[in-house]
Amino acid sequence: MKKTILFVYLVICLFGYLTLNVVAQTPSTSASSSPTVTINKDIQQLKDKIANKVSEIRKKNNKAISGFVLSNDGNKMKINNNGEENQVKFDDTLTKYFKITGAQKKEIKANDIAKNDYAIVSGIVADNIITANVVLIDENFLVDSGKITEINKDNYNIKVLTSDKNTYSLDFETNTKQFMVNIKTLDLERVGFSKVKEGDTVHFVVKKTGEEKNNSYSAIKILIIPQEYFIK
Amino acid sequence: MKKETMVAIFLGLLFGGVVAVFISFKSKDIELAKNKVIAPPPDKVSPDLIGIKLRPLELTEPADRAIVENNTVRLKGTAAKDSLIVVQSPIKDLTISNRQEKFDLEFPLALGENSIKIVVYPKEKQFRPQEKFIKVYFIDSEL
Repeated sequence: MKKTILFVYLVICLFGYLTLNVVAQTPSTSASSSPTVTINKDIQQLKDKIANKVSEIRKKNNKAISGFVLSNDGNKMKINNNGEENQVKFDDTLTKYFKITGAQKKEIKANDIAKNDYAIVSGIVADNIITANVVLIDENFLVDSGKITEINKDNYNIKVLTSDKNTYSLDFETNTKQFMVNIKTLDLERVGFSKVKEGDTVHFVVKKTGEEKNNSYSAIKILIIPQEYFIK
Repeated sequence: MKKETMVAIFLGLLFGGVVAVFISFKSKDIELAKNKVIAPPPDKVSPDLIGIKLRPLELTEPADRAIVENNTVRLKGTAAKDSLIVVQSPIKDLTISNRQEKFDLEFPLALGENSIKIVVYPKEKQFRPQEKFIKVYFIDSEL
């Protein structure tokens, strides 16, 4: 009996010792893992900060230029940016190329870019050379306004004199969108060619291909402000 | 010939000469009055416009050749009060009456290059319209 009591006593002591040991060790475990977690957090924060800073610098130095392609050898191209020649460098791993058709974009290759394409390039500019991140091949539009000086009702053509003294010859096509400002409500209303008068102010959008002659274009959009607006 | 006849002829010639000179001066005045006035003389400028300073069109946002990652942009700036503002791009035409001097317009963008022309027609029609032209590049961040 004595032996049994002693055995039970020893078992209880051992169990108690082990329990105490485990309880005592638990905080020490958490204490030893805490610095690791803190360091990991710090590293992550530092990484995020660096990533943000890099993104900020990239955005700051990121510029966009556009113009008609003069030449392209697959590694670099030259574009005519309003009379100024810019060189565009392609990066094999970084540069992406897209062709925009309406609201859609389709990925293309550097070699698909042809002479006289209209290119929009975004990237880092240094010494007139831009290292391209993105090259978009799109259409070039001219948006301008002026006074109608001449109307040819037979050819559906108007002559427009702009404020910078340029004269444009605009052809009205069947798909030309024609709007007129309602002088009372200022809303835009669809109108026909017959409503257009000499002396009216016109805002227009035309597509430029770079091969036009005598400033002659097919109008894509026309917005007329009737002369009555200015004499009311 | 009688002396009276000679005097009558002389007086007739004198009177005729005076009338001719008078008509010639008068017709010059009539011709000048009939001529069109090309520019109004300074004293004929509408008294309402004297001393009026037209607020110039200023565009504070966005900057020309700005790159944005959204398909809309806010056009912010100032223009003359009650003027007509016309904003045009290949995808959108917008006309508004600028009730206050400041304007803040949301304007849609197409992917790629957006040529935007802003013209302000002042309420005082004698003033010339003011214009700004900017290019804004919408380049999707996914590209």
